[in-house]
Amino acid sequence: MPSILPALEWLEGLAWTTAIRESNLGYPIMETSHVACIVAFAGLVMVMDLRFVGLAFAHTPLTRIQRPLFRWQMAWFFLSSATGLLLFVVDPLRYYGNIFFRVKLVLLALAGLNALGFHLATFRSVARWDEDRLVPATARLAGAASLLLWSAIIVSGRLIAYNWFD
Amino acid sequence: MSQAYRESLWLFAVTQALHLVAVSGFVGAILIVDLGLLGWGPARQSRAGIARSAQRILLWTGPAVLVTGIPQFTTNALRYYASPVFAIKMGLLAAALVFTVTLRRRVAAADGDRMPSWVPKAVGAISLALWMGVTIGGRWIGFAE
Repeated sequence: MPSILPALEWLEGLAWTTAIRESNLGYPIMETSHVACIVAFAGLVMVMDLRFVGLAFAHTPLTRIQRPLFRWQMAWFFLSSATGLLLFVVDPLRYYGNIFFRVKLVLLALAGLNALGFHLATFRSVARWDEDRLVPATARLAGAASLLLWSAIIVSGRLIAYNWFD
Repeated sequence: MSQAYRESLWLFAVTQALHLVAVSGFVGAILIVDLGLLGWGPARQSRAGIARSAQRILLWTGPAVLVTGIPQFTTNALRYYASPVFAIKMGLLAAALVFTVTLRRRVAAADGDRMPSWVPKAVGAISLALWMGVTIGGRWIGFAE
């Protein structure tokens, strides 16, 4: 299998990535923006998930929570991804071998599949159970999985800073 | 001794990570109400009910934020005490807390018809700015050595 290491070394050697990497404020600004965007994104996803698992907003129809939040969740996710990608591109070799970085990517893929699968399957029949306090088991399961996965993504993301296993 | 040090480093790192999870839940419960106040979130007829339920989320996640936040201060008390960013974060936090339990709580619980439309918008914008300011300040503490 061809290694992507040469590509990462090329990225790291570019003038602009080197300039940002070696500047004093580059990393703090990117990292703080990344964290602020993730907190806003994951926060809006997790409070919505609490409606799915029946722990909050029980008297509000589910789509009155989900519909207006969706575009904000997408906007904050886009900004989280953009700042995250920038962090990686500027210092790729720091992250490439980091176990927590790899775990985070796998968990992100799982969270994406969970959301996509839910939207394509259970969510199609939402009109029938929108006002129910107890939503169908598959929807509760998707909500619980989302809560766990995004929490684990935040934890693994924070632990990337600790390169114990490199 | 190095073992103990490594173990405490683990503990510190995990505490920080859980602090971030608790902060996310807390800020999510703030944002869902602020977006509604700004007219960009849940529709007006659901607003007061959502604010009541969001307040319960704040009461559950708030203590989790404190329990995971205070040990970070006590292990680095002298450094944090001298840090201007830490002082700014705590100032913003105090302002955000006072604003949230006074003016914001009243406006969020009202049905919105009895006040001019700029009032909920202004309250939502101020709350959003204060709490995001606390979040940004919290991360920046780590960069202000």
